[in-house]
Amino acid sequence: MTETLVASGRRAGVGDVLLDVKDLRTHFHVMDGVVKAVDGVSFSIRRGGRLALVGESGCGKSVTALSIMRLIDVPPGEFAGGEVLFDGVDLLTVDDRHIRKIRGGEIAMIFQEPMTSLNPVMSVGDQIVEAVLLHQKVGKKGAEEIALSALKDVGVADPKRRLKQYPHELSGGMRQRIMIAMALSCNPKLLIADEPTTALDVTIQRQILELIKAVQEKTGTALLLITHDLGVVAETVDDVAVMYAGRVVETGTVDEVLLHPRMPYTRGLLESIPSQGKRGQRLSAITGTVPNPFRLPPGCKFEPRCPYAWETCVESEPDLIELKRDRTARCWLNDPRFRDRLAAYGASRPEGHA
Amino acid sequence: MDSVPTLRPTISDVEPTALDYDVQLESLGQWQIAWKRFKRHRMALIGSAMFLGMVVVGILGPLFFQYDYYNIPVPDVHVNAGRPPSLAHLFGETGRLQWDVLTLVINGIRYSLLIGVIASAMGAIIGTIVGGVAGYFGGWTDTILMRIVDALLALPLLFVILVFTKFLGDGNWVSVTLIFGLFGWLGIARLVRAVMLSLREADYVDAARAAGVRDRRIIFRHLIPNALSPIIVATTLGVAGVIIGEAFISFLGFGVGQDTPTLGNILAGSLGFISQGNWWWAFFPGMAIVVIVLGINFMGDGLRDALDPRAKI
Repeated sequence: MTETLVASGRRAGVGDVLLDVKDLRTHFHVMDGVVKAVDGVSFSIRRGGRLALVGESGCGKSVTALSIMRLIDVPPGEFAGGEVLFDGVDLLTVDDRHIRKIRGGEIAMIFQEPMTSLNPVMSVGDQIVEAVLLHQKVGKKGAEEIALSALKDVGVADPKRRLKQYPHELSGGMRQRIMIAMALSCNPKLLIADEPTTALDVTIQRQILELIKAVQEKTGTALLLITHDLGVVAETVDDVAVMYAGRVVETGTVDEVLLHPRMPYTRGLLESIPSQGKRGQRLSAITGTVPNPFRLPPGCKFEPRCPYAWETCVESEPDLIELKRDRTARCWLNDPRFRDRLAAYGASRPEGHA
Repeated sequence: MDSVPTLRPTISDVEPTALDYDVQLESLGQWQIAWKRFKRHRMALIGSAMFLGMVVVGILGPLFFQYDYYNIPVPDVHVNAGRPPSLAHLFGETGRLQWDVLTLVINGIRYSLLIGVIASAMGAIIGTIVGGVAGYFGGWTDTILMRIVDALLALPLLFVILVFTKFLGDGNWVSVTLIFGLFGWLGIARLVRAVMLSLREADYVDAARAAGVRDRRIIFRHLIPNALSPIIVATTLGVAGVIIGEAFISFLGFGVGQDTPTLGNILAGSLGFISQGNWWWAFFPGMAIVVIVLGINFMGDGLRDALDPRAKI
């Protein structure tokens, strides 16, 4: 079973498919057995496109990102199946030399914790220069020039002085700017941002998101944003892939997924966001907890927590059902046989939602 | 502060000094911070003075007090037990051949320090490489390297060194140094491995890998500099260990030969003469060892505190 979902933005400047993740399976062999952290994830991003991978902690978002870069340690990790086609080349099978060229050069990554993602004993400049020297044919002088202009591009004041400073002298927001500058210094085709604003305070979060969006539009690099924050998703990307228990459970454009979720899990996530309209009401939450990775339910993985589940959900797991072009959901409600249930699901939508 | 719009025209026109008028915060690197802390540590300063004083004696002293094993200055009067300190011989004379003890001690300090420093540096380099590789890669690499370390540590090292020094180089001080260096990396390897095990989980390692940096460069450019503090402390204290070890085996007659004076073999020579009342032959080289080792230990304690990243300035 291999689904290719063309999650394409329809903005200008969005081209053909750049990254095509097909049925990716990343498993970890641990003491108690095998954890299938990623088990059949498929999505694709076009050149210049923006996709968000959304889900709660432990659903496999970050492992997916690390798998694309092949940064999973093998063992204990194992790529148990699937392909990561980047510009038509499967990154899971290329040799080490090739993947090092890709890392930082073609695909750059920004991490969650700006406080610890920079080496404390190297100056900021040295760290950017190191990345530039690895991927571009320039000398030390040229690399320093590039580092300087990269810092200017991300809005760092007094960049010359910043280059000589050490990470502990900079604030969290400033460090995240440095990380973005470093990521963009080699003009990557794809930028993976793994929860880039989670560790920052709210005012800085907005600045960093705006910055990522601005440089993304300016440089035309594609963006894979990993987040658990649906507010961030709505503001930043064109397309969404929702993940649950190592699977993609819903894909589509931001508007479609956030306004008309066709998978109860997505709806649950949306309903648990506090908003003005829900003032004074009790905030709803998804009941239950994330399933134990060693004892996943046999049917739909969300079934034990799903308020709409029935026998079919317990017995078998649905595939990603294509609703229309670039719009899928992994839920039996979308199967034509259960039309009446979908109608009831639609009717049960709470007032004033989203 | 991040997005304060600045009024600079273009970057090339602006020299840092032009902008720095409002920011007077001093930017301290990790070594400057460590030096600041070290300066406040009184025992460390005393220890450094003791050690550096001995280093100066070891470097400059032999220029004035040359030691030539094959040209013994003939004493005016022969006294088999040696003569006590006098104006002509401030540290007295040895028994039997009546060497000037001061000359012996000065040259002994030189060779003992040379042996200690070179052997510890060797041990530090080998230990850092082995420990760094084992800790970073983990898995089989780690298991194999660390079992080798365990096996070597299971040997009674002192006796191994005794045997080696006896059969290799025949009392040449260089070979004694090499033997100490080749067996002295075990502790550092374990130390570095332990530090690397925690450092390799750091986010900046993932960030460096995601930027395409090679493993070798991550180990030696990113991780070892972060592990340098414990390595420096251990190596410093290691110098004292080697000096004592060398003194010990030379005292037993297995170490450096009589043609090269070390503090250990000077002491060894004095052995039969203490009972004849010749205390100065043993006392002065013994004191030199005490001063060097104490100095190093005080200095090491100070370094440990100064380089501790958790300590406040």
